[in-house]
Amino acid sequence: MDGLLIGFTSVSWQQGVMYLVGAALIILAVTKEYEPMLLLPIGFGAILVNLPLSVVWEHEGAAGFLKVLYDGGISNELFPILIFIAVGAMIDFGPLFKNPFMIFFGAAAQLGIFATMLIATLPPFNFSLKEAASIGIIGAADGPTAIYVASKFARDMLGPISVAAYSYMALVPLIQPPVIRLLTTHKERCIHMEYHEAGVPRWLKIAFPIVVTMIAGFVAPISVPLVGSLMFGNLVRESGVLERLSQTAQNELAYLVTLLLGITIGSSMRADRFLNVQTLMILGMGLVAFVFDTAGGVLFAKLVNLFLPKDRKVNPMIGACGISAFPMSARVVQKMAASEERGNIILMHAIGSNVSGQLGSIVAGGMVLALVPLLVG
Amino acid sequence: MDAFLEGLKHSSTTVQALGISAIGLAGVFITLASFFAIIWLAVKAGGKKA
Repeated sequence: MDGLLIGFTSVSWQQGVMYLVGAALIILAVTKEYEPMLLLPIGFGAILVNLPLSVVWEHEGAAGFLKVLYDGGISNELFPILIFIAVGAMIDFGPLFKNPFMIFFGAAAQLGIFATMLIATLPPFNFSLKEAASIGIIGAADGPTAIYVASKFARDMLGPISVAAYSYMALVPLIQPPVIRLLTTHKERCIHMEYHEAGVPRWLKIAFPIVVTMIAGFVAPISVPLVGSLMFGNLVRESGVLERLSQTAQNELAYLVTLLLGITIGSSMRADRFLNVQTLMILGMGLVAFVFDTAGGVLFAKLVNLFLPKDRKVNPMIGACGISAFPMSARVVQKMAASEERGNIILMHAIGSNVSGQLGSIVAGGMVLALVPLLVG
Repeated sequence: MDAFLEGLKHSSTTVQALGISAIGLAGVFITLASFFAIIWLAVKAGGKKA
């Protein structure tokens, strides 16, 4: 009889809490539509892996299907790489080519990664350098980069880091506006920016992903899997001769890998590893990372304005779009601009900055991957 | 650079994080600046429109 009731007798209160966490993620996905493609599978994965005996992970010495997926897609970083190919095929660098200066906002808005990494090493947090780097990378606002770096440096933290990265990406409309308002005046938020339609040579669109990959390969060779896969997807898109492959990458590949990635990430949220003070600290610092990202971009734009003539100043809200959360951040900033002054259109600049954030986040991820092992092996 | 990194190896974790932050952020700016230069030169050079 005990054998029949083992499911009821072996459940712990911690597992009960994880069912609630999983349910909360599913509810957020369904009712609020916060990153539903990821939060829903993550939530369900969290419930699955915490069911009694955790058969989906391992049972009687044999790997369960979630462990097979984890070993085959997360441990070897395959899923994030495949997602990058899909994302690359979705990115149109056109708005950036038309406003190349926007690329610098994509650099400035990576401040959150480094600031948070620094904070994570301070008391009372006292994380190791690799753990701090993995927490800081939440500020990349880029799920695959966060997963890639965390799986290399702090595999035990993969669950909370992934949840934080995707949750805060979904919460960009709530996180960014107050930070932007705090750091800018109404007058600054009303700055108009002229948009000039510039022609972009086709060869540039094709050469760009190749050149970017090569530069990344020389600057930080360890970043090539990240940059190379993103740029491969973009090359397939821009080549103009692989339309079916481009569509496949943007649709079937993206959806299939996202489906498996989400539930596999959820399986890393086992109660014994997830329910601790460390998880709360990671979630808190993820928010700090997004705040610093936004502040870094806005303050850099204000700095640039000090050197620009009066009629060519940039709307500092554009700086906030330098994070990788595309296209949500650009939409948020355009909405703010329109609410500050009706008819103020800065969307194309915002998109240029937002696309730059996608480049900036993988370059920053590459820098972290290259630098940390130099100091701590 | 080697001496700087060697010095960081023997520093506290926070100083190491500070060093990585400084080098990393500078690296991101320099790398993206090189992308900017490529795009700017290519657009200036002109050519067939997409």
